Amino acid sequence: MNVRSYGVIMALIALASALAAPLVAGPFWMTLITQIYIYGLLALSVDLLLGHAGLYSLCQASFFAVAAYTTAILQVRYGYPTIVAAPAGLIAGTLLAVLYGSAVRTRGVYFILITIALGYIIWGAMYRWASFTGGDNGITNVPPPSVAGFSIASQTAYYYFVLAVVILCAFGYRILIRSPFGLSLRGIKGSESRMQSLGYRTTMHLYAAFVISGLIASLAGVLYVYYNRFINPVAASFQISVEVSLMAIVGGSGTIVGPFIGAGIFLGLRNWVSSFFELHTAVMGAVFIATVLWAPSGIVGLVERWRTHVGKPKDQQ
Amino acid sequence: MSNAIPRRNLICAVGAALIATAFGTISFAQQTGPIKIGLLVPLTGPLAAPGIDMVDGFKLYWDQVGNMAGGRKVEYVIADTTCNPDQALTQARRMVHQEKVHIMIGPLCGHEGPAVAQVSKETGVPLVMDTAGADTVTKWDRTPTVVRTAVSASQIGHPFGDYLYKELGARNVTFIGQDYTWGHEVTLGIVQTYKELGGKVAKIIWNPIGTKDYGPTVASIAPDSDAVVAVVVGADRIRLFEAWFGFGMDKKFKIYGGYWMHQDALPQMDDRAIGMIGNSLHYAAGLDTPANKAFVDAFAQKHKRLPSWFSESAYTASLWTRTAIEAIKGNVEDKDAFLKAMRSATIKAPRGTLKMDKYDNPIQNVYVTRIQKINHPAIGSVLTNIPIKTYENVSQFWTWTPEEFLKRGPYKR
Repeated sequence: MNVRSYGVIMALIALASALAAPLVAGPFWMTLITQIYIYGLLALSVDLLLGHAGLYSLCQASFFAVAAYTTAILQVRYGYPTIVAAPAGLIAGTLLAVLYGSAVRTRGVYFILITIALGYIIWGAMYRWASFTGGDNGITNVPPPSVAGFSIASQTAYYYFVLAVVILCAFGYRILIRSPFGLSLRGIKGSESRMQSLGYRTTMHLYAAFVISGLIASLAGVLYVYYNRFINPVAASFQISVEVSLMAIVGGSGTIVGPFIGAGIFLGLRNWVSSFFELHTAVMGAVFIATVLWAPSGIVGLVERWRTHVGKPKDQQ
Repeated sequence: MSNAIPRRNLICAVGAALIATAFGTISFAQQTGPIKIGLLVPLTGPLAAPGIDMVDGFKLYWDQVGNMAGGRKVEYVIADTTCNPDQALTQARRMVHQEKVHIMIGPLCGHEGPAVAQVSKETGVPLVMDTAGADTVTKWDRTPTVVRTAVSASQIGHPFGDYLYKELGARNVTFIGQDYTWGHEVTLGIVQTYKELGGKVAKIIWNPIGTKDYGPTVASIAPDSDAVVAVVVGADRIRLFEAWFGFGMDKKFKIYGGYWMHQDALPQMDDRAIGMIGNSLHYAAGLDTPANKAFVDAFAQKHKRLPSWFSESAYTASLWTRTAIEAIKGNVEDKDAFLKAMRSATIKAPRGTLKMDKYDNPIQNVYVTRIQKINHPAIGSVLTNIPIKTYENVSQFWTWTPEEFLKRGPYKR
């Protein structure tokens, strides 16, 4: 079996099980899987920078939260319909990325530090500006999304909606990273000075990647606010930025399915293991350590390695 | 032969009818299956210790009544919310959809309150909010399926402002407040009543939760203050205590705890705390009533420590829930009846007699307490809060009418 058909078969199996999930899983598992898709998308936005451009951004939660807050405030406070509120959220989050994108002028540890600081600004604004954002109490009672009288009120409908968005995003993302642009990002990750000497304007490439990453994170934010029907400053916190980076790394950085697998492991452990084991954070810690030690390229990398290992003698026969 | 089939059909029909009746009784009997209660508390994270206090109080009550309510067995599930609203929301959904609980009790952290209330609203499963104190939940942003059995943040602040001015004679006060919703509401509740009486605020110093160093805070107290009032939570309570004595502030100023020296923090403080005014709270372990004595003794026997207000909260929330279940004879499937019973019950809790106001928050006593060392037979020598002044039947609206209060809006810094 060649690599290509293998990939297609795996993708079809994944798609079939994703489509069938609501029929098999109870409502709790369905909401959890919806959450995994949404966080997976956020982790994917991290991974565009981390896995391809080699930038470690720790302010992804800002775009996520700004998009979510914009949508929530427009819907709840000002009564705008979804058709206005959701795109406005997307635009607000992306605009923030346009602004924050100037961080790509720095590299390495300075980039990490700047993005941490930028992230804290947004968190602080949401936490402190209580008259507008609701402070600690956040914004509750976000209605289900509805466009032209058609409302996605049931969990199952929303599950399929999120699934569709995620699949579309994954295809778009695949095209993006296989394009010359994606290649040049990986080139910059490999050796920026060489790319510069070849005539590439590396900073502009990284800036564009940063904004696209902000757009994906904003999309996750809008999906999240309609999923949770509630938003609070925790969504903008440093902790979320770190968690989604961990999801990307554990799942397999530089791949498309990796971030989703990582999100599944992370949220699955937290929500399921915590129901019967108090030291669930320790389990999570052990998983991370194991990943770093034995699967530095994540679960996807592990599977790849295992497959080439098992597959080899067969090919030789 | 031709009418044999109809006869067989007839027999079948009768049989089916009988089976159906039997099933009818069974489905009726299902109502006597166990009642499931979901407890949502943080078992990990910054407020894990109060969370465990809650679990202990909760289990103590259900053990005492043999896990029975309204003639049905009571089963409970405990979920870890990690003091994160996102996790609290997901766990609440798990409770409802996966564990199929009839009633939710919890959460602890203020900001988890609105998140769990959201799940109660979307699923209709009643939420007995036993600790989370965000004012808005029983004031501006109420949910029909949510009742609170503990306390609204500013409810414990208002009486202390009165006490501060009238009994402690303070006229120029520096406030040390914790910078988040609960902290704002308690601190500014004290400030409100104190200022209305004519008191002057020298300064309010806000510290985020988890402030590591209280040196700068105690150093910036206004020098002409005649009193300092502290509203602090979590590990900050200990850090402020250490900084206060470490910097020799005890020789310069008088400090009073508006919300500070709770029972769960006292073991980490020492005898320097004796004689200080530690709290203005709706519960004190040193409360001298038969109901509280029975509760404290049972808790101390089992856990070798005195109960904090978190333990009492979960205990009383369980007591209140069970009283309501008894009143509706165990029929928790009727959510409206259950909520109505919750709202109309009068509860003789360890902390005193409780009654729900029209805004789903209890009317209850608030105790100003002093730290003293007592000898408890089960534990030995131990620091605790002894009430020195009781404000009886305090409403969450204090002496204002609900309309006045609601019009004024929430306390914000």
